[in-house]
Amino acid sequence: MRERKKSSAVEVSSVKKKKEKKTKDNNEPREQKEKEESQSIMKQQKNTTSRSKKEKQRKATEDYQSLRESELSGDEVHGTDHDVDNADDHHEEDQTDGSEGHRGVEESDSSEDEVAPRNTIGDVPLEWYKDEKHIGYDISGKKITKKERQDKLASFLANVDDSKSWRKIYDEYNDEEVELTKEEIRLVQRLLKGKAPHTDFDQYADYVDWFKYDDALHPLSNAPEPKRRFIPSKWESKKVVQYVRAIRKGLIKFDEPKEEEPKFYLLWGDDSSAAEKANHLAYIPAPKPKLPGHEESYNPSLEYIPTQEELNSYQLMYEEDRPKFIPRRFTSLRSVPAYENAVKDSFERCMDLYLCPRVRKKRVNIDPETLKPKLPSRKDLKPYPVACYLEYKGHKGAVVSISTEASGQWFASGSTDGTVRIWEVESGRCLRVLEIGEAIQYVAWNPLPELPVLAVSAGQDVLILNTGLGNEEEQRRVKDLLHVETPTAPDVLDLGLVEDHLLKNLLLALMFTLDGVFGRMASQGRLPLHVFHPTRSIFFVSTKKNIRVYDLLKQRLIKKLETGLKEVSSIAIHPAGDNLIVGSREGKLCWFDMDLSSKPYRVLKCHPKDITNVAFHRSYPLFASCSDDCTAYVFHGMVYSDLNQNPLIVPLEILRGHTSSNGRGVMDCKFHPRQPWLFTAGADSVIRLYCH
Amino acid sequence: MDMNIETPEDQNEENSRRVQVRFKTKLKPPQKVPSNSIAIPSNLTRFGLSSVVNNLLQAVNPEWKSEPFDFLINGELVRMSLEQFLLAKGISAEKVLEIEYIKAVAPQKEEEPSLHDDWVSAVDGSNPGVWKAGGVCTHILEGHCGAVSSVNIIKSDGLKYVTVATASKDQTLRLWKFDAEELVNHPKKIRSFKILRGHKASVHSIAAETSGNMVCSGSWDCTISLWRTNDSDAAGNQVSIKKRKGNNQVEEPQLEGEAISTLVGHTQCVSSVVWPQQETIYSASWDHSVRTWDVEMGKDLSDIFCGKALNCIDIGGEGSALIAAGGSDPILRIWDPRKPGTSAPVFQFSSHNSWISACKWHNKSWFHLISASYDGKVMLWDLRTAWPLSVIDSHKDKVLCADWWRGDSVISGGVDSKLCVSSGVSIQ
Repeated sequence: MRERKKSSAVEVSSVKKKKEKKTKDNNEPREQKEKEESQSIMKQQKNTTSRSKKEKQRKATEDYQSLRESELSGDEVHGTDHDVDNADDHHEEDQTDGSEGHRGVEESDSSEDEVAPRNTIGDVPLEWYKDEKHIGYDISGKKITKKERQDKLASFLANVDDSKSWRKIYDEYNDEEVELTKEEIRLVQRLLKGKAPHTDFDQYADYVDWFKYDDALHPLSNAPEPKRRFIPSKWESKKVVQYVRAIRKGLIKFDEPKEEEPKFYLLWGDDSSAAEKANHLAYIPAPKPKLPGHEESYNPSLEYIPTQEELNSYQLMYEEDRPKFIPRRFTSLRSVPAYENAVKDSFERCMDLYLCPRVRKKRVNIDPETLKPKLPSRKDLKPYPVACYLEYKGHKGAVVSISTEASGQWFASGSTDGTVRIWEVESGRCLRVLEIGEAIQYVAWNPLPELPVLAVSAGQDVLILNTGLGNEEEQRRVKDLLHVETPTAPDVLDLGLVEDHLLKNLLLALMFTLDGVFGRMASQGRLPLHVFHPTRSIFFVSTKKNIRVYDLLKQRLIKKLETGLKEVSSIAIHPAGDNLIVGSREGKLCWFDMDLSSKPYRVLKCHPKDITNVAFHRSYPLFASCSDDCTAYVFHGMVYSDLNQNPLIVPLEILRGHTSSNGRGVMDCKFHPRQPWLFTAGADSVIRLYCH
Repeated sequence: MDMNIETPEDQNEENSRRVQVRFKTKLKPPQKVPSNSIAIPSNLTRFGLSSVVNNLLQAVNPEWKSEPFDFLINGELVRMSLEQFLLAKGISAEKVLEIEYIKAVAPQKEEEPSLHDDWVSAVDGSNPGVWKAGGVCTHILEGHCGAVSSVNIIKSDGLKYVTVATASKDQTLRLWKFDAEELVNHPKKIRSFKILRGHKASVHSIAAETSGNMVCSGSWDCTISLWRTNDSDAAGNQVSIKKRKGNNQVEEPQLEGEAISTLVGHTQCVSSVVWPQQETIYSASWDHSVRTWDVEMGKDLSDIFCGKALNCIDIGGEGSALIAAGGSDPILRIWDPRKPGTSAPVFQFSSHNSWISACKWHNKSWFHLISASYDGKVMLWDLRTAWPLSVIDSHKDKVLCADWWRGDSVISGGVDSKLCVSSGVSIQ
């Protein structure tokens, strides 16, 4: 009932409908009452008069009919005189309460809806009857005529006069005006406020626990607790053991903790690795443009602005080295001009897109510095000749050849002016001038210190000269040696007449050339270059392009070294004897390691012009080459006694100072036998000594 | 007087700070200035300071003739402006600065060079009597058939006779004796009285013992030989030989001597020897080492390796212990052998442009030395500054030898065959 009231509280019209429904429901007991009434009358009639059943029934229906009619008329009355009706209702309610209990409570509310539904049009829109004179049909099928409609003005006037007009509602469905009672208005107001419709209903009444036993000593069930509640479950322990075994065997696998994705990533990091990870065939990551810096600002601070000198220096740079962007200052963003290269840039971009290769090119990015061989620092390779402190001047022509004495106190030089000069190394004093008369080709000091003699080749002759050095005893021996039966000139002698044993060592190389062994090459008009092995009886002779190695004892060719040069100009052998350097006319220097192969171990392309001579130092790991470009190069050439280690060659120094004369530069270079010093003989008739 | 000082500096007085200084000196009274402190501009250089001192001296003594002075602050010579010097050395300019002044060491006068027939390869100025004023040639020592590489005057007992030892490229040493006081109008030719043979290569250097009884010589045969200089009677084993009888009628007997002992250890030419004390010989060699030899033991006590071939060596300086040596590079190096780990030089003077051929300490001063170089210059050094005190540029070609003479002159000989004397070097 409560619910019903709530639902009926939505709006007035629905309340009205509910009333009608309730009246429908209430019809039944009313009919029962009537039946009872009619039955009691019938009893009376049974008792008093005997009438036919049919008659009775007819009468009953008549009664009913009349009753209904009276009720209908009463309903009309009800509309006007509601309060009375309501009081009656309550009264009736009280009556039924005792007999029917709850049902009576529910139906007590519907007392007002005694009016039966007069209209039976059903659930059709009332508009359909708009143009009709009637509105629907009543239960007996008669048309229910519409009430005469008051015109608006009259009704308005009536409303104005009537103080209750605000409570009146027109019921379209039944075509009547309903006036709500004060009680109903209050109810509606309460509902609108969200309160319970009845004033006496307490929304927040105390809860009454119907099932509470105040004196309950025992629980609902009085059975004792079973034993199984107190002992551990066997089944559970079995299951646990089963699980433990399964876990141990690895049958049950737990979810591995998820690897957490790194929350952060390098915003400015290199994307290249990510691109590789993606491994898409077509994915070529766009190169990241350089982020703009302060200098790109329209108003950069002063240190970014290039000075005029810097701007001028930019002009001197190559186009590609020039900075692309030159920072400028503007007082405001408004004054920044349009980008002048916009068209050009977009054109270039288009060209890039058009010409861009659609394949990824594997370009090897190698720092050229790393390709350089790892060479030790020059500082660690000291001493080596660096600077020229002494010059030996005196020759009138190009100095062709120099040779040092074994101790390094003296050296001799031969020149194209036909003189051989003997110099003191230390002071630069020319000790002796020996006039030969012909242009000197080669001078060689006797390596034996006790015989200070000099071999000189000039023109067609080889001359042995007495240097005049040494003490008297040595001088006597030299004179004895050089004494010939028919001296052509004092201290000078022709080679063919020499019979002495001592001289044989000295002259062996020369004799070989004359012996006809290499006569073939000599006949070609070229003097073959040759060098002796320092310790073994091996002899190196150069042809134009190759070096032949002969064994002197077995008298046969051992090896042929292929230089790959156009024309060999000079050879020198390392004092240990296993390495050979060869200079060429094209400026290349070849280092041969005899143990390695017959091909050069290293080819150094250093001189732009002919190499005129190459030389090894006797004790220091140095070698040098001199060239017609007026320079001499000094190299570090370390030969290790360990056979597994290849020789270490490091270029050390370029020695300059000579001037060119007739297209010739430095004609000869020789190392000082004991100091890391280099003598260079120049075509400018000067001999220089480069010291460390 | 103060006015006088300030006049030259009036212009730049505004833009220079002033420093409170006090001049002090060890010089004798006529050169002594009053010791009250004065304020001088801090941009003065040595020249400015010198004029200040001269002005002060003139104020005391009106007849004072101005002369150059050199100035020491904390034992270092001032070679830049005072301000720069103080900044460089980190000396506070707030306190009164004590500046010691000494006489500037620079040759005052260049005397007329004496011309020789050939290169002047060796000089020795240890005896003031040999050379006459003006460098007039008095005696010609004749006999060597090779170039004379070194000469040394051996102190002799009498002043009258002077003994000279020479080393030559003809592998011999010769001893000469002549009368220094003998007045001759034309150069007198003298023959050696003793020839010392034994070296197997040219002798490069000679040095006499302090007493004069022995000489040592360094040679190209890598050895140092010790020889006795005493007269023949003491040794007794000299063989008198007659040389070239035919040429000379009046023949003095020439004695031959042999080495008493040989010091072996160097691996290359011994280019220079000095014998400053009785028991030790210092030698420099082309094998890049300086060695100290014990004469008695005949062994080397210590080596110093410098990495360059050495041409000259001298001992002197503080306590006569510093070793100065020059060689095949333009740097004059000075070692202190008393320091432990002496391989690093204490001083390096590098103003020359070429090889250094000679270096000599002043025998009185601890600070001064000269060096001669193949660039034709003789430089006068003071240990208290890194710049040369003066550069004597009188030679046209290589200078081969240089020495102090009479304590106040520098003599030098070179390839241009000149013997130059620069005198007036006042070292107190």
